[in-house]
Amino acid sequence: MKSPLSQPLPAEGKESTNTGLLKLELIASGINLGEGLPSPLTNPFGLIHLILPEGVSVSVQQASDKQQTPFTLLHHGKRFFLNFSGKETPVQWVPPLKCYHKKTRSGILISDILTVHSGLIAVHPKGPCRFGLSGLACRYCGSSRELSNHPPFSKQDLIEAIQTVLKETSCDVVHLSSGHVETEDGGIVWLTPWVTEIRKHIDILISLDLAPPKSNSWIDQSYAMGVDAVYYDLGDFAPHQVTGNKKSEEDKKRYLETIEYAARIFPKGAVLSHLVIGLEPMGDTQKGIDLLVERGVVPLLVYFPPSPHSPLSERWKMKPEEVTPLYTHLFERLVQVKNTPHWVHQQDVLLTPLEGRFFSEKSAGFHLALKKFYETGFGRKVRRSMIGIRRRLRVKHHPAGYR
Amino acid sequence: MSNTTPRDTGNPMNIEIDTRPLPIVILSRWWRFPVYLLLGWILYHSYFTPPPSGLSVEGFRSLVVFLICLILWVFHLLPLAITGLFALVAPPLMGVLSAKQAFSFFGSEPVFFILGVLILAAALLKSGLSSRIALFLLRQSGHSPKRLIFQILLTASLLSFIMSEHAVAAMMLPLVVVISKALEFVPKGGSYGRLLFLAMAWGCVVGGIATMLGGGRVPLAVGIMQEAGHTPITFIEWTLTVIPIVILLFFSAYLVLTRFFKIDVESVYEADRIISERVRELGRIRLEEQFLLVLTMGAILAWIFWGTKIGMATISILVVVLLFMFKVVDWKALEENVEWGIVLMYGGAIGLSSIVSSTGASRWLVETYVIPHITSPWMLIGLIAILTMVLTEAVSNSAVVAMLLPISLSFAGSFHLDPKVIVCLIASASGLNYTLPMSTPAIALAYSSRYLRVKEVVLAGLAMTSLSWIFLMLTAKFWWPILGIQIP
Repeated sequence: MKSPLSQPLPAEGKESTNTGLLKLELIASGINLGEGLPSPLTNPFGLIHLILPEGVSVSVQQASDKQQTPFTLLHHGKRFFLNFSGKETPVQWVPPLKCYHKKTRSGILISDILTVHSGLIAVHPKGPCRFGLSGLACRYCGSSRELSNHPPFSKQDLIEAIQTVLKETSCDVVHLSSGHVETEDGGIVWLTPWVTEIRKHIDILISLDLAPPKSNSWIDQSYAMGVDAVYYDLGDFAPHQVTGNKKSEEDKKRYLETIEYAARIFPKGAVLSHLVIGLEPMGDTQKGIDLLVERGVVPLLVYFPPSPHSPLSERWKMKPEEVTPLYTHLFERLVQVKNTPHWVHQQDVLLTPLEGRFFSEKSAGFHLALKKFYETGFGRKVRRSMIGIRRRLRVKHHPAGYR
Repeated sequence: MSNTTPRDTGNPMNIEIDTRPLPIVILSRWWRFPVYLLLGWILYHSYFTPPPSGLSVEGFRSLVVFLICLILWVFHLLPLAITGLFALVAPPLMGVLSAKQAFSFFGSEPVFFILGVLILAAALLKSGLSSRIALFLLRQSGHSPKRLIFQILLTASLLSFIMSEHAVAAMMLPLVVVISKALEFVPKGGSYGRLLFLAMAWGCVVGGIATMLGGGRVPLAVGIMQEAGHTPITFIEWTLTVIPIVILLFFSAYLVLTRFFKIDVESVYEADRIISERVRELGRIRLEEQFLLVLTMGAILAWIFWGTKIGMATISILVVVLLFMFKVVDWKALEENVEWGIVLMYGGAIGLSSIVSSTGASRWLVETYVIPHITSPWMLIGLIAILTMVLTEAVSNSAVVAMLLPISLSFAGSFHLDPKVIVCLIASASGLNYTLPMSTPAIALAYSSRYLRVKEVVLAGLAMTSLSWIFLMLTAKFWWPILGIQIP
């Protein structure tokens, strides 16, 4: 089946709005619904999946009573439009995946196992991810402190679920999270059987969300066993801040050592770290971006409002147009240090580093061409093969007792 | 996700990620493939190339196969055993001889002799008899550091008389590690720690050439000699030929070790205590061990007195059958402890050398390129000995025999030399390596302890190599004529 991303947008009604800013605004303020929209409109997690001009993918929540949003989703015939500032911008609505309502052979709903974010399959973790622990609801996996109680599922269920999704749509990456762990290995031991099972049955890239492990050999282990990308986050999401708390400083030191080492082991652009923006002064976030980019890591800037009940909602003050310089800075720094901004080339709940191009004067021609190539069936195969060959070359297995 | 028990992820320490630039990684991992292609092209090209004058088509092709096997052996492009197999299949592919003839070399007597010897060594190891003999010999050190070095050297040497030197080294290494730890030596620490490991390794090297049981080199050399149509050397003949060299080298090794490495320890009381403890742990000698001891001694006597009459391999295989009849070992233990690859390598090497010799290729090579430059038999002997000793430091000693012997045997006729001179020279010199870890498993195991570094061993190793060459020449000059091996 064709990916919705490869389907062309309506040609007429070409808008002059900055698509990057439009995506940010939509993420921040949600959307109102016009009359007569199809049903079901949202996926089981309450997100409406749209494709904006230039093929930019976004998942939007319906605006709550508290939110005031200028955006309304309309449709005339088979065409969909975003109405804002008195004009209509053509968009594409992607119907929610039918497979969400299917069940595995053991009777578990696929929507209880995973969420699909345009090309990325996020597997629901066993417990809240570190992002979910922060008080924010993680839109990757739907986890938070008040974890939505997904029923436990087996490896077989997961494989079935992924295979069912792949029958319906094209995806590049399966993303697994170790949840909040404080083990020596950073969660890799717990995830190993899952990774092994996916590797055994499905030809797809695998990314993991892990805690910084106590020793670098666990990073080697994760790469060797078939992990293609890793996300290492700090609990407080502020790697550049020194809190004065001794434990936090130790954690930060270990975190920096980890990401620096991982960036040497994994392919360019495949070591990532989330940075929440909008909760601290911009200068601090910029320092955080520089600190990560210098170490070969790709920061993913996370900008969306905490839930109204979260204590963090009071601190969240930045408007979308105020944070765009951070995206510009990120994109330009990555290009400058020759890192790859397109490992995450489609992500509908945040602006990818490559989407920082909408605010920059710098050309993104090469990276866009590569992104387009990787979105084709052949491109996907080439990408996976290249990544696989690199691993075959770089990993050396030694007999027991080596070192 | 369900709360399943995570499986054992293995020890992460056994994985290494090569972070060098990818082109360098590709080159280091796959550099062999272009070489394989080049070698394949040489084989293909030589198939259609007319031979040089004076050499038959079969001789030329067998020479090309031989040279390719040399390259594979010297640069370790393939495991030795696999090169041995290639040496068997390449001649039929090149139309030198039929497949039936090629594979028949695997049925040669030396191959089965080696097989039997390897199985006997495995039985000695597995039963614990070799450890018992080692501990019995080591017990006599009497708290003196010098005496302990002498005992380790002597034990390793004597055990290498009856089992392959790599098996002796593998058996003694854990014991020497325990002794060095008891004396509170750490890797790269005191000089005496290095001395212990070198004594073990050099003892194996020196003792390994004393009999046909010390390694596969001598049986391989005898096999090549036999395939070339010469009367083979017997078990006792070999030992008589090299015993003066072994005795001289044994005492030289002790002197070189104690001169080159400082003895920085007052007493080895702790080592004695551990040895005594180990002896006590072993308990009384078991019936299986007694039987094995009798069987080993019986086999050695049979090789000495009936080796020529009923065949070395016959005795060897008979010993193996008796081992199983009396349930001294089981097959599973053998599978783990016998280096089957060596047998494959010998089969291929014997076959290849026979082909090179029978097609006249080796004679042509010698007459065309070597004889014009060699003026006397002694010059030839000296050069062969030096070449063998240099090569054996970098290449497996069996591979050195397989490389040099077929060609060198052709010299014998040209200089009116007894073929035994060439065989004894190469088979003994190829076992005398003291410095580099890739030379022989005994040296490699000593390095694996991390107590040794090449630069610390180089001078002492050079001294031993020089002495080995001198003793070899002196023995050839004064001792071999007494045994009837004449050098004009």
